[in-house]
Amino acid sequence: MATSFRIRSILAGFSLAFTAVLHGAPADEAAAARSFTLKVLPLLKEKCFACHGDDKEKIKGDLNMLSREGLLKGGENSDKVLVPGKAEASSMFVAVTWQDADLEMPPKENDRLTKEQIELLRDWIAAGALWPGEAEQAKLREAERAVVSNADGVILKSSGGLADAWTYRRYKAEDIWAFQPVKKPAVPEAQAGNAIDHFISAKLAKTKTEPAARADAPTLIRRASFDLIGLPPTPEEVATFVTAWKVEPAKAWESLIDRLLASPHYGERWAQHWLDVTRYADTGGMANDYERSNMWRYRDYVIRSLNNDKPYNEFVLEQLAGDQLADASALKRLGGDAKKLAQTRLKGEYTPEEAEDIVATGFLRMGPWDNAMVKDEEARQIYRDDLVNAIGQTFLATTMRCFKCHDHKFDPLPTRDYYRVYAAISGIQMAERPLSYLPEERRDGFAEGKTFVQRMLAFATGEKKKITQKREDAAREWFKGHNLPYKTNEDRKNLPDEEKPARNVGLDFVDEGQLKVREQDEWIWERALERYEPMVQSVYDGGDAKFKNARKLRMPEVTKASLKTETYILTGGSIEAPGEKVQPGVLSAIGLRVEGAQGDPFVLPEDLTGRRLGLAKWIADARNPLTTRSIVNRLWQHHFGKPIAGTPNNFGVKGGKPTHPELLDWLAADFVEHGWTMKRMHKLIMMSQAYQMAAGHPQMDRLKNDDPNNERLAYFPNRRLTAEEMRDAMLSITGELNPMLGGLPAMPEVNMEVALQPRMIQFSLAPAYQASPTPAERNRRSIYAYRVRGQADPFLEVFNQPNPNDSCDMRDFASVSPQAFTMMNSDLITDRAIAFALRVQKETKAPEAQIGRAFQLALGRSPSVTESKRLTAYLGEMQQYHRGVKPEPVTYPTRITRSLVEEFSGKIFEYEEILPAFEKYTADKKPADVGAETRALADVCLLLLNSPEFAYLY
Amino acid sequence: MNHPLCSRPVSNAFTRRQMFHGLGASLGSLAFTDLLAKDGVAASPLAPKNPMLPAKAKNVIMLFMEGGPGHMDTFDPKPKLNELHKKESKLAAGQETGFKFFVGSPFKFNKVGKNGIEMCDQWKYLADPYVADELCNYRGCQAESLNHPEALYHMNTGSRLGADPALGSWVTYGLGSVNQNLPGYVVMTELAYPQGGARNWSNGFLPANFQGTRLRPEGSPILDLNAQPFKTRAHQRRFLDEMAFLNEQHAAQHAEHKELAARMESYELAYRMQMEVPELADIQGENEATREMYGLNDKDTATFGRQCLLARKMIEKGVRFVQIFSGGWDSHDYLERAHTERIRSVDRGMAALIRDLKQRGMLEDTLVIWTGEFGRTPDNNKRGGVYSLGRGHNNQAMTMLMAGGGVKPGIVGSTDDLGLKAVETVHPIRDLHVTLLQLLGLDDNKLTYYHAGRYKQLSQFGGQVIKELIA
Repeated sequence: MATSFRIRSILAGFSLAFTAVLHGAPADEAAAARSFTLKVLPLLKEKCFACHGDDKEKIKGDLNMLSREGLLKGGENSDKVLVPGKAEASSMFVAVTWQDADLEMPPKENDRLTKEQIELLRDWIAAGALWPGEAEQAKLREAERAVVSNADGVILKSSGGLADAWTYRRYKAEDIWAFQPVKKPAVPEAQAGNAIDHFISAKLAKTKTEPAARADAPTLIRRASFDLIGLPPTPEEVATFVTAWKVEPAKAWESLIDRLLASPHYGERWAQHWLDVTRYADTGGMANDYERSNMWRYRDYVIRSLNNDKPYNEFVLEQLAGDQLADASALKRLGGDAKKLAQTRLKGEYTPEEAEDIVATGFLRMGPWDNAMVKDEEARQIYRDDLVNAIGQTFLATTMRCFKCHDHKFDPLPTRDYYRVYAAISGIQMAERPLSYLPEERRDGFAEGKTFVQRMLAFATGEKKKITQKREDAAREWFKGHNLPYKTNEDRKNLPDEEKPARNVGLDFVDEGQLKVREQDEWIWERALERYEPMVQSVYDGGDAKFKNARKLRMPEVTKASLKTETYILTGGSIEAPGEKVQPGVLSAIGLRVEGAQGDPFVLPEDLTGRRLGLAKWIADARNPLTTRSIVNRLWQHHFGKPIAGTPNNFGVKGGKPTHPELLDWLAADFVEHGWTMKRMHKLIMMSQAYQMAAGHPQMDRLKNDDPNNERLAYFPNRRLTAEEMRDAMLSITGELNPMLGGLPAMPEVNMEVALQPRMIQFSLAPAYQASPTPAERNRRSIYAYRVRGQADPFLEVFNQPNPNDSCDMRDFASVSPQAFTMMNSDLITDRAIAFALRVQKETKAPEAQIGRAFQLALGRSPSVTESKRLTAYLGEMQQYHRGVKPEPVTYPTRITRSLVEEFSGKIFEYEEILPAFEKYTADKKPADVGAETRALADVCLLLLNSPEFAYLY
Repeated sequence: MNHPLCSRPVSNAFTRRQMFHGLGASLGSLAFTDLLAKDGVAASPLAPKNPMLPAKAKNVIMLFMEGGPGHMDTFDPKPKLNELHKKESKLAAGQETGFKFFVGSPFKFNKVGKNGIEMCDQWKYLADPYVADELCNYRGCQAESLNHPEALYHMNTGSRLGADPALGSWVTYGLGSVNQNLPGYVVMTELAYPQGGARNWSNGFLPANFQGTRLRPEGSPILDLNAQPFKTRAHQRRFLDEMAFLNEQHAAQHAEHKELAARMESYELAYRMQMEVPELADIQGENEATREMYGLNDKDTATFGRQCLLARKMIEKGVRFVQIFSGGWDSHDYLERAHTERIRSVDRGMAALIRDLKQRGMLEDTLVIWTGEFGRTPDNNKRGGVYSLGRGHNNQAMTMLMAGGGVKPGIVGSTDDLGLKAVETVHPIRDLHVTLLQLLGLDDNKLTYYHAGRYKQLSQFGGQVIKELIA
């Protein structure tokens, strides 16, 4: 088969050459010249010239391929490199086919020509190997570039790449869908209000697939509750809904959605998705993992904004330029007095509306960052690169990192645009700014927290003093012995060596090691006092300041907003290789002009305020297709467990193509038309039939083969609860959940082994994690849990809570044994099971009733007769078992001994740390605190918490 | 029902009866397994399978030196660099820019053993001919990425993206695992994760059973491994039986939900691991000679030494693939100090591992691989105005060691005289992967998994076997 094909194509080649020679047909010749210029020559350039011509000094095999003459002349291996008209006789052709083991070109497997490229070369040689002159080539190229769309694809106009070949390259139309304007597709009149089912059905109809039937009422309320508020429905809510559903399903469904959207827990649930993408944590990560005090104000801002259904375009604008909006408002309020504004900034005295906008800029402080051991300029670049990428992924579904060092390999994104966006944010300086609390910001626990921190601080200071006292006593002795007057440690620092004692006089390696730890701890706890100060993690506009340290980033007294920073295209991404200077700007490939731009439509104003606000406005523009598609894609994703366009942080050529492109556009257009409200979009999606489908399908076997990823959405995709839903749902079921909204990070109890395990920071060990002393403080929703970049809560981590250093657009849900260990053996699950049992015991007495109630609470349904019988028997059996065992009481340590290697001596030393949180600790009820009956019932409860029905949503 | 798991590698004689016997199954789990059997699923996804081709190796221990060891500072001497030391370099490789200068290796090199293996003088234990004679030093491999996480992903999963199944997952998928009470693929790291985190041992699109299980280096090897002290093993068995019952009820209503089987299996495996892991991780019982051999009495060598000892014990117990990550090899500066310390930390454990496997007759079945994610550059740039004696990342040359498992001892391939590029027996990472599969009797073209409507090749694109490496 292959042979005959080859013979045929050789013959075809011959006849072509023959024709060309005989008739010299100008049309064919023009086509050949065009093909050579536009395709063959670039191919030769890419694959051959590097070794055969570009470097005149090092021409391999003495073959120069830069000209037709060179090829005809040949090289040391062959003088028949090119035989015009005869591809098979030309060694350059044979080489690219890799037929001859001794002659394989290009030599690297990676660089091998594709079939199409080989054919191209064959055709060119067969047609006589025409090689038009430079002038004609230029003309041909120009003519080609004038045609935007042809069979090879589309040219997308941008601000231009570093080379013409990039600027004028062609894309397959379907690859650059995301960069094209949103076009609202037409839908039948009847479905104009909610066109979701129109698009879903259309796709299903193509494969003659019926959508799954509607799910039953209990399934639907459980699905809707977790989706919107991240908590299970109570048995009473289920009963009410099921009753209403029987009367009028549509009405029951709609009022359920309205109720859930109005719940303050809606904001908590959906903020988690946003915080996954923006990488929320309460610390700065890296070697020191410094606390970012008051970061929670941003977390609460997100929750509040969602609960208030803040239009998405405002939400975007505030996070990118809220500080500028606040200053503009304040300036107006202050009658344009710039001096007064400066005072306002320093004191943080803004109106609540302005303060809200400043809190929003916490977004600009989300990435892990530390300048330890890094030069200022580089540290600044790391921050800006991170921010550019974060902005791209979060709002524009664009991984910006990919065109930092060169023009984008696949997408129409020139590196110039990367540095334009980079320039747009280059006025940003990080700062902890003073800012009064908003009335709606919860300040519970401030007093208790402060007392705790002061206690820790006093201990560190006290321990430190003991050691410095010892040192100073020895120093006194030394001065006395040398007949010199005593000088304090500070005062003697600059004395010559012979006039003062050794640095750590009187201290052994244990003292030296401990001193370092105590000094570090003293600083850490002193810093922690800032948790209770009216500050906010934010930014200000200013010229490049010298960073003091990531420890403390404060706003200077005087900031010159008139300062400009200059930005260059950094060749290869290196600050040491600045290339062409760029102005602040936006991504040009989507063709959306900057409002009010003069000249280059994609360039922003130069001043620091104008450039960032300009970028923010451009992103929040109703016509920005990346912004609008990105957000509706995310909203869809978290209802269906899967997005329409497969990679929500990357709509580029290599990202997942939308399964329903028209639906995505319809949603984006509809979203903007209706004022960017997210709550309306939730309702729209949930009111569709597609959302209400069952998770099973009568033709599942066929579908699993035809459409294994359920891309057509023939049935509702099931999903496992997320880590946070899992924990929150358990607390809700056991009745332990403290539903309080917002405020200081909560300190839940985590696996004690992890809480107390050593965690290295730059010069010391981080203080141990201490949970809050009361259950009410600990058992808050997981979104409020203190998030340390360097130390994950093992329960949440094992259930795939993402690492906060990377933007997470989609959670992972794999089942692995470590999850089983946690769910069977951990203290956390044991405590939940006991609490669950105690609640059930309180509410019902008879074993069958207890089992019924436990089912209702955990799974939202009654047990079947079989289940009831079997589990009642199990309960009896377990009562028997537990009467025979006596669990040990659980104690919590109030001090721990830690060990560390002392840096100079390399020896291990020990030190004590106090854990005052556990001194007056109200532990959750432990197995030893309850009787055999409760423990037996707890076994049943544990079973339900481990059941697949609890873990999965259908 | 056509379950993807039974699509390719053939399950061997591990019958259902044996399964039940081995697992002490009770009524509940019987019912559940029965449900699986009806579904057409092999009894356990980790059940041992016959290799597709004649195999030379059965198990793999991969010692991963995260950060990228300098090939010219470990096993591939470049005397020319010492001549050029601190002279300007115009080489364009790596990520460093600005003024660059050559860096000579701070170490002296010796030829060791009968196969001419070259080593820097910091390798004290590995240099013993009893060990060195088993080593193959491959110098022809080329990485692609210059970035740690991507390069780590590439070496570990065959793809730079970090969402695909890891090599250990391929192998446990292809061959199953002999011991059903331990994970088939075990990963040990330092207290901190390597760059790129758990995605380095991810199952990717394979079922979660093939994910690497990480053992913690301190405290409980796996958090919450042990049952609450007031719960006996029998109590736990009863619990799992009840769970299987609930699972069965549930699965009957959700036939579409394949993950349910994997989830239940993860519980059963957890139950079995509870017995096996503590026993395995306990090295108190090891005699003084063994402790000394693995360097357990020296705090600088104890962590890696203990992991090497555990790796040997695991392989002995039938774990298929063990991986140990050792960090800190990214020496951009202070190369001498850092590499000396890193070499010291792994030398003893690694040499003991090979020696121990050899003495026990296990080396011929067990392939030991020592590698980083890429090599290092012959030159460096100045940092803060001073000559920093370190090296950048190099994706065109690196070095690796292999021993046992059908590998031919000796040096294979070479790099140029600066160590800039591999020049002989040059192969991309995928060829190395395919070669490893070949040694294990797995045909990479057939090692596929049905995913997203097609049989996906685990080795991504396939590749060519590096024949020179095979004995």
